[in-house]
Amino acid sequence: MSIPGKVLIVDDEAHIRKYTGLLLRSLGVPLILEATNGQEGFEVYQREQPDLVLMDVNMPVLDGVETLKLINAYDPEAVVVMLTSLATRQIIDDAASHGATYYLRKDTPRDEILAQLKQIFADTFESDDDAAVAPDATP
Amino acid sequence: MPFSDATHFTPFNPAGAKVLVVDDDRVNLRILRGILQNAGYIIAEADSGEDALVQCVEFQPELVLLDVVLPGIDGFTTCRELLKRHGKGAPPVIFITAKNAADDIVEGLDAGGVDYVPKPFRQNEVLARIRTHLQIRRLLAAQHALVEQLSRANEAKNKFLGMAAHDLRNPLASIRGLAEFMREGVVGELTPDQLDLVNTMHQASQSMLELVNDLLDLATIESGELKLARAPAALAELIEKSVSLSNMEATKKETRVVFNAASVAVTFPLDAAKMRQVLDNLLSNAVKYSPPGSTVTVELRGDRDQCEFSVKDQGPGIPDSERDKLFKDFGRLSAKPTGGEKSTGLGLAICRKIVEAHGGTIVAENLAGRGCEFRVTLPFPDSP
Repeated sequence: MSIPGKVLIVDDEAHIRKYTGLLLRSLGVPLILEATNGQEGFEVYQREQPDLVLMDVNMPVLDGVETLKLINAYDPEAVVVMLTSLATRQIIDDAASHGATYYLRKDTPRDEILAQLKQIFADTFESDDDAAVAPDATP
Repeated sequence: MPFSDATHFTPFNPAGAKVLVVDDDRVNLRILRGILQNAGYIIAEADSGEDALVQCVEFQPELVLLDVVLPGIDGFTTCRELLKRHGKGAPPVIFITAKNAADDIVEGLDAGGVDYVPKPFRQNEVLARIRTHLQIRRLLAAQHALVEQLSRANEAKNKFLGMAAHDLRNPLASIRGLAEFMREGVVGELTPDQLDLVNTMHQASQSMLELVNDLLDLATIESGELKLARAPAALAELIEKSVSLSNMEATKKETRVVFNAASVAVTFPLDAAKMRQVLDNLLSNAVKYSPPGSTVTVELRGDRDQCEFSVKDQGPGIPDSERDKLFKDFGRLSAKPTGGEKSTGLGLAICRKIVEAHGGTIVAENLAGRGCEFRVTLPFPDSP
């Protein structure tokens, strides 16, 4: 399985961080970090270098798209998935043009959102995963 | 009701209203001026049609008393020109003239005049007619303002509804998801009692989420933000998906949903997601109100110009007295779901709006014997 080792959730709402954290844990993500706004999210990103960021759009202090720009400028390889509500096309396009790789709707039923996350993991971490698994596989 | 009090019981006081009197005869002008000023009107005068058109801009009268035989353009031409220039904002025109054969009166009314007073006139008649038309004009203006105000209030309501529903969705989705984790024992095994409570939380958040989604749909649709993304879709496939979903609920009540597809494939340009919502709604209603063990039948027909699908159930049908509530917001009827299901009363209102956005119609008819049929007819976008 291609699972990111370290995922950062940036969302100002505790229930979203908790629920998303459970989603990630149930998929086997070993380390989950949390930040409650964009500013804090960027600081954690620089310090911890997570493999994947799940980022809310509307947040106090620094919103998701602005934070995305900072992270992307700091690390063009960053994998950022936007967590949206009823996403308007404009926000999605805006985020995509600043390097967001995917977006997930927060109110998606759990089985669907789990499938979407798995797909994102598969698309994004396959090669890394193979590299990580390879040494173990070699006797 | 204060509104009806104001319109029906407060005597209309025309004093201070501005009236333009148009006549080329000085004596007539003087007489009319005297009568009208005595009644409290503010008067301006014009002695030709051309002058009247200028005065209408400068003086802004609320009513024009217009002679027909004038030097230059006549009264009828003046009236037509006035309406052309000012449209709906034009003041009402009452012709006052000795030219009063039946044909003249008809021509004057055709030219857009609201009334016709023959000369020689009776003072009380002129005053009564002026008063009546000023009152109509003011009522129309008041009504227009009221409609504007109501439509702004409705817009604000929709915006508020949309925002509230929007903000409620995510927490509800979290509660639902967290309850799912709990009942699976992800955070420890639950006792049967605990499991029961968690299941109740799950169901409650799920039905609230559905209500919120319905409210949001309605707010979106009402605020005119319903945008259709039409693409050719195979209706039979759409219906099959919806049927298999509703069969999951139906089997709990030993009800069956059967689909008789059209003999020819019906491909139709429509917004598949939105039409699926209509189908899901009609089918879930049919299952909801059907007695256990009954059959719900879905049919699809189509030709070059239109397609039609219908959902027939064997439920109690729709009482005639409740017919008009059926497709309205929160129009819950007296019939109760047969398996304790929930209803928001918004489903059919949303269905109607989606179908109408497609240019189609949705009707409900009681079937002979028992049950009712909901029929959706969609015209091909290009057909007349």
